[in-house]
Amino acid sequence: MNTSSEGTPARSAILTIASDGLKEEQVSFLARARVSLLRARWPVLAIGILLLATLMALVGPQIAPKDPNRQTLILRLRPPMTREADGSIPFPLGTDALGRDVLSRLIYGARVSILVGITAVTLGGVAGSLLGLAAGYLGGRFDDFIMRLADIQLAFPFILLAIMVLVVLGQGVLNLVLVLGIGQWVTYARIARGETISQREKEYVEAARALGMSRARIMLRSILPNILAPLIVIASFNVASVILAEASLSFLGLGVPPTVPTWGGMLNESRDQLLGGKWWLAVYPGLAIMLTVLSLNILGDWLRDFLDPRLRGTV
Amino acid sequence: MNLLRMIALVVIVLGLTVMVGAQAPGPDDNTLVVAQTVDTDGWEPSEVNSRPEANIFNHMFATLYEITVSGVLEPYLASGISYSEDGKEITFTLHEGLTCHDGEPLTAEDVAYTFNRAGDDANGFTGNTAGFVFDSAGFIRAEAVSELDVTIFVERFQSVNHGLLSEVFIHCKDSYEMMSLEEAAQNPVGSGPYAFVEWVPDSHTVMEKYDGFNLREVGFDRIVWRVVPEASTRVAELIAGNVDIISNVVPDQAAAVNGSGVAEMQAVQGTRRMYVGFNQRAQYDDTEGGRAIKDTDVRVALQYAVDVPTICATLLGTECERMKSMVNPPNDNPNLAPYPYDPVKAGELLDAAGYPADENGERFHIVFQAGSGRYLNDANVVQAISQYLTDVGVIVDLQMMDWSSEFVPALRQHNVGPLYFVGTGGGTWNAQYDMADISTPTGATNYTEWSNPEWFSLRETLADPGLTAEETQDIVNAMLEVMYNDPPWLFLYFQPDFYGVSNRVDWNARRDEKIIVYGAALAM
Repeated sequence: MNTSSEGTPARSAILTIASDGLKEEQVSFLARARVSLLRARWPVLAIGILLLATLMALVGPQIAPKDPNRQTLILRLRPPMTREADGSIPFPLGTDALGRDVLSRLIYGARVSILVGITAVTLGGVAGSLLGLAAGYLGGRFDDFIMRLADIQLAFPFILLAIMVLVVLGQGVLNLVLVLGIGQWVTYARIARGETISQREKEYVEAARALGMSRARIMLRSILPNILAPLIVIASFNVASVILAEASLSFLGLGVPPTVPTWGGMLNESRDQLLGGKWWLAVYPGLAIMLTVLSLNILGDWLRDFLDPRLRGTV
Repeated sequence: MNLLRMIALVVIVLGLTVMVGAQAPGPDDNTLVVAQTVDTDGWEPSEVNSRPEANIFNHMFATLYEITVSGVLEPYLASGISYSEDGKEITFTLHEGLTCHDGEPLTAEDVAYTFNRAGDDANGFTGNTAGFVFDSAGFIRAEAVSELDVTIFVERFQSVNHGLLSEVFIHCKDSYEMMSLEEAAQNPVGSGPYAFVEWVPDSHTVMEKYDGFNLREVGFDRIVWRVVPEASTRVAELIAGNVDIISNVVPDQAAAVNGSGVAEMQAVQGTRRMYVGFNQRAQYDDTEGGRAIKDTDVRVALQYAVDVPTICATLLGTECERMKSMVNPPNDNPNLAPYPYDPVKAGELLDAAGYPADENGERFHIVFQAGSGRYLNDANVVQAISQYLTDVGVIVDLQMMDWSSEFVPALRQHNVGPLYFVGTGGGTWNAQYDMADISTPTGATNYTEWSNPEWFSLRETLADPGLTAEETQDIVNAMLEVMYNDPPWLFLYFQPDFYGVSNRVDWNARRDEKIIVYGAALAM
């Protein structure tokens, strides 16, 4: 017997009313967000910086003044703003030890940092959230299995795990995303599980069960939207930590091949030049990493406060 | 209250200062600290693979003869040498009263045991002794003919055999017979001026003066060999006074070292031959690049594609003349000229060889493998070479590998490439020593497996003990011309060497990269 009431006139009417309410709620949500952002100010700056970094990542090849891998040995280690005889400044941020344009490498470097940061967090976030949701809702052996798996991974220092996996799999953006993604799922799984357990006995879940909704549907359509807020906040912080992890692994020479410019890789290459006073090789990629991570943290802070119902009206 | 806080603050600051000072006291007057790029893989004297390893072993294990700074062979454990008429039996006479570090007397029997053990296929050694020395010298066996005389039997006479056999680290029979190979690789019992004390892998090795060794004067009672792979960290440690001698200083850091007031740079023109190998093994035939470099014309064309003098001047901090053969001057062929940098000619030759550029300017793709951190500025050098090759349409897939765990094991099996970057140690005391890298088509150090028949047939003619010096040089020149016209290597440069030396130490760098510190002493 089909217990679903979808398609009946009464059901349609309920959905229409709910949908109108949702639109109204979305409008007020966005309006509140805008007001809150403008009031807090710093998150606006953070969003500006992140948009700039994202823009660099998306249209890097179009806006980079030079090929980031083009070497000109005789022009190596040019300081920033060095003026040519004709008055031009071909390398505004200087050149590196192989005569490559630092500005172009910085722009291209954003691609790997942002791509790896967002992709790895999406991968880890989606996998971890779904596993945590299922573990929290289903409980029993599945819950035990997922949580013990999480405990085992947490007992292993992440950077060590990443180094081991990258040494075995080799360098490359895909491997980097996999490693960093795998490293993140635990956080999401634990939070999603905890939130799901607190939600699963609530009336709306009971109601969904009573309406005959399948377990998957209850989890994805009823519970997930209600536990999403903390997961989004964690994700915003997590992108920052993944960008730092990527920079650390690239600094250790384990990130991507040396021909792919990354901010961490640029820092790595600057090591031999720091004692010689070539500060620009470390300062610019360092600043790029710092500003991006700081912006993500500021945005995460704001998001946490904004999504917290207890602080509604104060943020 | 404020006064109490102030006192507490001062106490904390002083305490921290004392703690930091206590953690980095610097070496004492009886200790010399040397920092190198890589560590030893273990302590098997027949399994030494790299110059940094050999530097450590040279202080624990003595050899029959020793090559001096000026490139002269000088008696060491042996007091003399004699040859049979056909040059195939070489007899070394040992000094009397020698002992190994466990007190066992060191006699001709021990020397014979050392050679035969290294040459025993059952032991599976592939290091410098079994790989390079024995392959190049044509070692057959060794035999003790009296307590102090040992005869080494070789396949053919070569003027270089004496020096080659003097690279073997001598050890005692009883000490090593009672150990398995695994035990021997952990418990060295040496025969040289310093005895093993401690090894912390990838960190440091400590050795102390062995009082029973009287063949060399030593300046320090204790030597610590530290492993510091990262170039700027080595310089920072030198400037901080924690190490006395560092190798492979990046030239860009010369000002920092010389301006520190505690250390000075020493630059020498080294004898290491740096090259890009063209691996000829069949396993690369199914790759576009592997097939291309089978063609002699392609290998010649690529010689014109790389601007070696600019690499030297910019990345190695010195002017250099490009290598024109595998032999160090002045023993090389004076009639050969270094290949000039001429990318247009490189393109024309590649066109003529059947590799025209497509609409994107690409001719063929090829994998280029290199270890990282072993040679002077190697990571930048290989990237620069990749750029030059790409500029003439050879699209390079540069693969950087960990030196010890990835690159060297693959190199030993001749499994790097089809293009690979490496440097092999050379000398100025005999042209044939430099040429010994290519002793047979599949010899241990013939990593490209280049098999030009003319080269090997000319090499056979060198085995005549009756040849005069001029006749020998003529054959050498002819062989080098063969190699020049059918190059197994993309010739680069003889590596300049930069050392950082603390002002408290009196020590001079050598051209052959050997860090020999018996004679080092505290500066006056």
